[in-house]
Amino acid sequence: MKQIILNEWRMLLRVRVLAYLTLFFIVGLALVTYLGIVQNNQQLEQQQVAKEHIRKQWENLDAMNPHSAAHYGSYAFKPTTALSSIDEGINTITGNVLRLEGHVQNEIVYSEASQSLSVSKFGKLKPSLLLQYVIPLFLIFLAFASVSSEKETGRLKLLVFQGTSLSKLIFAKALSVWFYGLLLLIVSVGIQVFLNVKGTDADGLTRTALLLLAYALYYYIVALLATWFSARLKSNAASLSTMLAVWILWTIFLPKIWGNTTDKLHPLPSRQEFKIAMQEDRSKGLDGHNPSDKRSEAFKQKILAKYKVNKVEDLPINYDGLRMQADEEYGDDVWDKHFGNSYDILQKQKQVYQLSGIFNPFASLQSVSMGFSGSDMYHHLDFLRQAENYRRDLIRTLNEKQAYGGSKTGERWKEGNDFFKSVKDFKYSTPTVRRASTHYGTDVLLLALWALATTLLVWLTAKKIKLI
Amino acid sequence: MKQLFTIIQYEFRHFSRSPFKMVSLILFIGAAVYGLQNGYTLLKRQNTEIETIQAKNKETIAEVTGWYDAGKKGPDDKPWIDVTTPMRAIWYAPASVLKAPSSMMPFSIGQAEQFGYYKQVTNSSSTFDADLAEEIANPERLAIGTLDFSFVILYLLPVLAIILLFNIAGLERDLGFDQLIRVNHPSIRKWLFSRFAFYFLLLSGTLLILMLVYAVRTNVLPGTFILLYLLIVLYTLLWFVAFYFINHKGKGSANQAIKMVSLWLLFCVVIPGGIHQLASLKYPGNYMTDYLDASRDETYKLYDLSVDTVKQRLLAAYPDLARTQHAKDTAIDESIIGNSSSGLTNKLMKAAALTIENTNEDKNRFIRNTCWFNPVSWFQNRMNALCGTDYYAYRRYRADIQAVIDKKVELLLHDSWNKETVDKKRFMEYVSAFKNGK
Repeated sequence: MKQIILNEWRMLLRVRVLAYLTLFFIVGLALVTYLGIVQNNQQLEQQQVAKEHIRKQWENLDAMNPHSAAHYGSYAFKPTTALSSIDEGINTITGNVLRLEGHVQNEIVYSEASQSLSVSKFGKLKPSLLLQYVIPLFLIFLAFASVSSEKETGRLKLLVFQGTSLSKLIFAKALSVWFYGLLLLIVSVGIQVFLNVKGTDADGLTRTALLLLAYALYYYIVALLATWFSARLKSNAASLSTMLAVWILWTIFLPKIWGNTTDKLHPLPSRQEFKIAMQEDRSKGLDGHNPSDKRSEAFKQKILAKYKVNKVEDLPINYDGLRMQADEEYGDDVWDKHFGNSYDILQKQKQVYQLSGIFNPFASLQSVSMGFSGSDMYHHLDFLRQAENYRRDLIRTLNEKQAYGGSKTGERWKEGNDFFKSVKDFKYSTPTVRRASTHYGTDVLLLALWALATTLLVWLTAKKIKLI
Repeated sequence: MKQLFTIIQYEFRHFSRSPFKMVSLILFIGAAVYGLQNGYTLLKRQNTEIETIQAKNKETIAEVTGWYDAGKKGPDDKPWIDVTTPMRAIWYAPASVLKAPSSMMPFSIGQAEQFGYYKQVTNSSSTFDADLAEEIANPERLAIGTLDFSFVILYLLPVLAIILLFNIAGLERDLGFDQLIRVNHPSIRKWLFSRFAFYFLLLSGTLLILMLVYAVRTNVLPGTFILLYLLIVLYTLLWFVAFYFINHKGKGSANQAIKMVSLWLLFCVVIPGGIHQLASLKYPGNYMTDYLDASRDETYKLYDLSVDTVKQRLLAAYPDLARTQHAKDTAIDESIIGNSSSGLTNKLMKAAALTIENTNEDKNRFIRNTCWFNPVSWFQNRMNALCGTDYYAYRRYRADIQAVIDKKVELLLHDSWNKETVDKKRFMEYVSAFKNGK
């Protein structure tokens, strides 16, 4: 087998067009990876500038009433991960600015996609675009004639008569194509690590290694299947057209069809329905029998009883601060219920989509590529959760200052700048790969199963393949 | 001419005996119907949503006019509300700015899923408010892309053309009887042209039938529909011309298939992706800090100004106010000035929004300037434009929103400063004025 692989490589190296194409791919991948990193760093820089600008405004607040400060609010800017330069995932689709303020939980807005005309339906020219679409196609071009041309020239019969097992021949030819894919993959990932050495920690390296593994598995599947078709079908044209049909189905057709189907299987509410349901729960109560005025009255009685007084005016604290915090907490429960429900639907959609990996390994690759790059939906939802938790902390801090800060009444009472400076800024921490990887088990397993299935397919059917 | 028809006839036989090509065409038709239906469903969903909003607005109008008829000033449980004041009446007058979807939407969903299409406008609204976010959707599905009809045309149609055409003249070369063809047909170009013509007519005809079905369903005939169809025919023709030259100079089916797929990959994936990346490098995703400053920091600074300063600024920004009753008063009514501050914030927000729109326009100009070597994106945006789902359709919608905000502010300032008492008739004038700013 080793000898066949070496022979294949010798033959490949003799083809001048291939040498030029390899050079083109290596230079192209290096350039695309480099530009991806530059763009990512540029975006991170912009995000940092915006973050510092907003924080500076908060720290320079003049004396202000804490509740006014809750309305003044803050902003969370969605950061990009270092590996987004490989696979940007959903980052251009989702917004990148989230306003954090009292009373309301806002939507993340200002997506890059909404800031210009439509350009590309397959995303930016990042390494992932080349690694997912272009290189597998190139591997197909390399593999489609690998056995069928031997068949057409009659060499295949000769090789088998000389004692070469057909399955070994297919594996060897597929592996030689696969190694070529690996070479391009390693070039891309190597440049990524080399150019990003400062920003790469152990977690980043693990993510990179996992990306490498996932792409390597996919390339193995593509190379082996293309070689198998080449052996199985009568002519070069038949093997190429069949493998191209598979490629089109996997990469263009099925992801979109299945993506839309998941949406239909687990439909999300419309924004209007969602808004109305939240408003109703907030005003009528989560159970529908606890309207806001009754809740408000019950809360007042509870506080009066706690401080053993009869009137709000007799309270030793600012009642408004407590009331607003109670209302805020009720709003948090309403948010948890409705956004929790939406998140559940989104996760169900994702799970159904991941299952399409059973018949489409490309879906699994896409999912893990985004996932390990930290640019998929799970990472996005994690950002939203962390931002919401920060919002709750921020508003609680402000409401508690309002309640216990010294003024019993007075909306005009103001807290000094030192207090606002002491409020911590929002800091997003990307989930570790260990925590995030639980979501991608299905994808990795399905890719591995595909690799195993294609191996078995070659193993079990090789003997039945006609030599002419 | 007779020879042309004979070749087309033979090509039909060849096509009908090729299960691979037949299945591909059936799959393509399936995808096209799926895409059309997706667009049609979105059109219906958006229309339903708009109807719900309009119905709710009608309820609000009936409720408020009921108060006027009953001589009430507002809801019983909210005694502080007085709808005879311009401030409250304008607050209650529904101002939903709606972007009714174009009936052409089934033919291209375009960027429709990236923008909101309804907004409840208040006098302190702006065109980049968070409530103008797009519909709730799975972001991964949006990133992967919706299978709409324009996707089928722009990306799958060339793929289908590759499947149908890759072995034309290639098979003959593979089997070594291409010389025989030359003997039978004096002009190999005409022979190739006739075979291509069959598939061109097949695809153009199939698409016309499919499109007509949905055009009748959405009642868009003829107008823009014809333009869209001609655009699609032109797009198909361009691919056919490119493939014709590949096949004319080809060296066999596999060789032709590789060249065709590479061409597809170059024009549909690599060039648009490259332009997208370059556009992002030149114009990175905007965090809109200017707008955030206007909506927060600058607005809060206004709140700290003295009543007298606010009044002077309002008079400077809206010179017409000088003729109003309150402008002539020697005493300043703090509540009028307080309620009018949205006049100043609106100016701030408009200036910030203009900066964003200008930056976006620079980016769009850059994208447009690359169209001569990025034709697929050009066709994509043309289709979106004809179907009212491109960036500019939503920019026009933002302009409509701004017009309603301006109208709200203008009426609020004018009527508050003239100390108008709002009755049912005036309230209905407000309602009518806020119908998309017209």
